[in-house]
Amino acid sequence: MIPVRYNYRNLVVRKTTTIAAAFGLALVVFVFAAAQMLGNGIKKTLGRSAAPENAIVMRRGSSSEMESGIEESQVNLILAQAAQIGASKKPPGVGEVLVVVLLEKVGTVGGVSNVTVRGVPEDVFAFRSSAKITEGRAAAPGTDEVVVGAGIRGRFKGLELGQSFEIKKNRPVKVVGVFADGGSSFESEVWCDLHTARTAFGREGYVSSVRVRLDAAGKFDAFKALIEQDRQLGLNVQREADYYAKQSEMTADFLTIMGTMIAVLFSIGAMIGATITMNAQVANRQREIGTLRALGFSRSSILTSFLLESTALAFLGGGVGAIASLGLQFVKITMLNAGTWSEIVFSFEPTPAILMRSVFLAGFMGVVGGFLPAIRAARVSPIEAMRA
Amino acid sequence: MSTETENEHEPLASDTQQVVVPEQYRKSAVPPAMKTIIELKGVTKTFVRGKEPLTVLDGLTLDVHEGAFEALMGPSGSGKSTLLNLIAGLDRPTSGSAKVAGNDLSTMSDGDLARFRSRHIGFIFQAYNLMPVLTALENVELPLLLTKLGSADRKKRAQTALRVVGLEDRMGHYPRQLSGGQEQRVAIARAIVNDPTIIVADEPTGDLDRKAADDILTLLTKLNQEFKKTILMVTHDPAAADRATATRHLNKGKLE
Ligand SMILES: Nc1ncnc2c1ncn2[C@@H]1O[C@H](COP(=O)(O)OP(=O)(O)O)[C@@H](O)[C@H]1O
Ligand SMILES: [Mg+2]
Repeated sequence: MIPVRYNYRNLVVRKTTTIAAAFGLALVVFVFAAAQMLGNGIKKTLGRSAAPENAIVMRRGSSSEMESGIEESQVNLILAQAAQIGASKKPPGVGEVLVVVLLEKVGTVGGVSNVTVRGVPEDVFAFRSSAKITEGRAAAPGTDEVVVGAGIRGRFKGLELGQSFEIKKNRPVKVVGVFADGGSSFESEVWCDLHTARTAFGREGYVSSVRVRLDAAGKFDAFKALIEQDRQLGLNVQREADYYAKQSEMTADFLTIMGTMIAVLFSIGAMIGATITMNAQVANRQREIGTLRALGFSRSSILTSFLLESTALAFLGGGVGAIASLGLQFVKITMLNAGTWSEIVFSFEPTPAILMRSVFLAGFMGVVGGFLPAIRAARVSPIEAMRA
Repeated sequence: MSTETENEHEPLASDTQQVVVPEQYRKSAVPPAMKTIIELKGVTKTFVRGKEPLTVLDGLTLDVHEGAFEALMGPSGSGKSTLLNLIAGLDRPTSGSAKVAGNDLSTMSDGDLARFRSRHIGFIFQAYNLMPVLTALENVELPLLLTKLGSADRKKRAQTALRVVGLEDRMGHYPRQLSGGQEQRVAIARAIVNDPTIIVADEPTGDLDRKAADDILTLLTKLNQEFKKTILMVTHDPAAADRATATRHLNKGKLE
């Protein structure tokens, strides 16, 4: 076996070409990992908004809270049904109104996007116990005061503590507090008084959805059956987790697939780069290879040695790319989520599986890119050693 | 990679320094009782370059006795390297038989030839052919990686070989840190570390100045005299040929 330090030192000796080839490979792995971290990030962010024992009730046929509408009179009925199945926490549920407002993005010239405004009842913080006011104070009930999620604050005009914005023409509201919710998608929302939201958007007598907090996740099926059996109500019941998974699916899959496709496209370039680098090495080291063959090393050990070298090169690049991609987890980005058509703030979220896949991709590129040069190396005749 | 384990042998004498070969030993005749170690019969080598076949060796016959130190001379392009390649198992004859150290090279597979070279042949090249990224010691150790020796044994043997060529103080040096003569001595250490049956040298002093060339020739003489190595050396240099025990001339595809 040709010693590994032979390959290692060859990589070190030709620093410049090694770095250039490794850089290309690093870029591919970076893009590949970033795309998947992005897809994962949006799934995780929306996933955090769900509690396992929570159910969401919407109008049958609505794919999001935005489209759904439930009559006020049905809210108490729903909560009564929940109590019958087992929903003893206080409050057992909330009826909320969901609207979007078009706001100007900070840091852009006239760039606007949808921001979710959730009209919430007084006891919303008791219902979502993971949400906490982190700055300022809670909004006073029945007023034009609002609180903004920590993710979206300051990203749109007026969405900063102490500022105000118009949820509707000539209908300003004032930001009096900032809340956090463990990185969930609620942090991308503005929470305002239920009544204020309803009157501003002409939704009097309606809520968008009713969230119910059951005593245990296992009670869901019974609750769903009970609500849905009454066809007259025309309601649909989902687990919160399923609802959010559906909300994130489209965008997350799109990001993952697009990013992966771009990475795969790039990878062709990187593999060609690795092939060119290794081919040049085989040409330069013709005499060395011939000498190794003359000394008695077999074709297969030459092949292995060169494959090892290109794979090591790829892992070097891949490692750098993967480590660099980890730096992205500190970056938060805001994007229009296709599930809700409103802005959502999330970050790149790495997982061990994503990193493994990325490193595997690097190794794959190394083997594929290095294959032809390695074959060429293995075919070098030992007579090359003698050639003057 | 090597399947041969009977490669074990006495380590080279470790205490010998630069040797001076006494005059009476030079050009000493080969003892007649010694057996033939290289036996070529009717060897022809034809290269086909383009459409035109070029017959470089033409029905050549050669016997070399064990323990000989023979020089091979001839005009440039006469086929000296080609002949050496056949003997060393780097190439196969077009026709004829080549028996070296008991192996019929003309019928062996590439893999068998590689094992044959690893076991029986020590190579010395005109351009030294050291691996630039490996130290002197690591270069010398290379052939031992094809044996079953453990790393401690390999290191010990490589050190011994470097001591034989007088480079015990340069073991950690890279080829670029050595002079041409020193590089060639490292290459010689690499050639002998496996205790080969035959050492083949293709113009080993071709790239060296007189002084360095003489040192190399003295070293080869020592390998022949003290370690009883059979040496076959291609050379242009009459002074080099002088150090051999016999000289053969290659001309028009045959030995004179
Ligand atoms: N692999 C080869 N293919 C074609 N021609 C070759 C090959 N090797 C050597 N030759 C030719 O064979 C002749 C002898 O070459 P060589 O043995 O290297 O000569 P020398 O070593 O005596 O100078 C030259 O004419 C050379 O061009
Ligand atoms: Mg020659």
